[in-house]
Amino acid sequence: MPPPTVADLVERTLLGFDALAATAEAVADEWQYVTDLGTVWKARIRAVGDARGTEPAPAGAAAAIDAVVAEAGRITDPHRAIDWLSTLPQVALAAVGEPA
Amino acid sequence: MRFADARPDGRAVVYAHIQADPLVLSAAELLAAATTTQRLLARAAMNGESTDAATWRAMFPALFGPAAPGPDDPTRIRSEAILEVSLQVADRGEQARSQYRGAIVEALTERLVATRTGPVRRERRILFDGRPAEIHPYDVTVEGDAAGEAWDCKWGARGIKADVIHQLDDARRGAGEDEARLVVGLVVFDARRSCEVRMVRERGAVALEGLKLIGLESLDRLAGRKPA
Repeated sequence: MPPPTVADLVERTLLGFDALAATAEAVADEWQYVTDLGTVWKARIRAVGDARGTEPAPAGAAAAIDAVVAEAGRITDPHRAIDWLSTLPQVALAAVGEPA
Repeated sequence: MRFADARPDGRAVVYAHIQADPLVLSAAELLAAATTTQRLLARAAMNGESTDAATWRAMFPALFGPAAPGPDDPTRIRSEAILEVSLQVADRGEQARSQYRGAIVEALTERLVATRTGPVRRERRILFDGRPAEIHPYDVTVEGDAAGEAWDCKWGARGIKADVIHQLDDARRGAGEDEARLVVGLVVFDARRSCEVRMVRERGAVALEGLKLIGLESLDRLAGRKPA
């Protein structure tokens, strides 16, 4: 199996983000904020994929993103999920050596 | 323009115990000299589900991976210490850790500002002649003779609400009418990108140009230095 690329990690991050957003959407009053976070953070993550997608993932980045997506998947409280919609992308970006 | 102590109330009495907790002081001390990635580790771990340190180490290869500083390096020692206190905060339970996190951001802000200027105070109101006094105190103030500062501190971008923005803007306008110099702003332990999204929706008629925003990536600006 070939080593993962940055594009692979971007894909995993976006899937994790969408799962988290689905949990967060239960807070009806924050629907707009959840939507806005999705717009800006997914655009930022996709931009990394566009710029560096074919690069091999940095050392440790695949395990880091698997860990942060798994952690996000453990969150069942929708209020905490909203907080994590900001945290997950920051951690994923740091793992591939990108600023938030 | 003048500064005054907050009116004591029941919430403040309870919260004062949390503000004085050694765990809060220890976390603030560690985070004051931390890098942005170390602060991000604290944010994630204090708000996570897992209490297993190995999970968090895997999430941050730049801090704990093979290419990270070795176990005896001061940066690595700080990363481990930050992880430890963060998991202690997370272990307090949902209600308590929310209060601890808020108190940590306030204490961190106080420390960073104090390295640049002073005198720095906590939980103070700002009064203007001819204007009704605000009920809620500002988390951190600088009460210098020549210029003042008023900072509200938030754990996450979601804490930015219209009333918070309006109170800061009122103080800024009051100072302007008094011909006093007052910097007002928000310190948020969260990514600037998320804060900006929130502020645009919550600002109402407030012009944001007069309001400083310090996000997680730029906390060192409070101390007058570039991010580590």
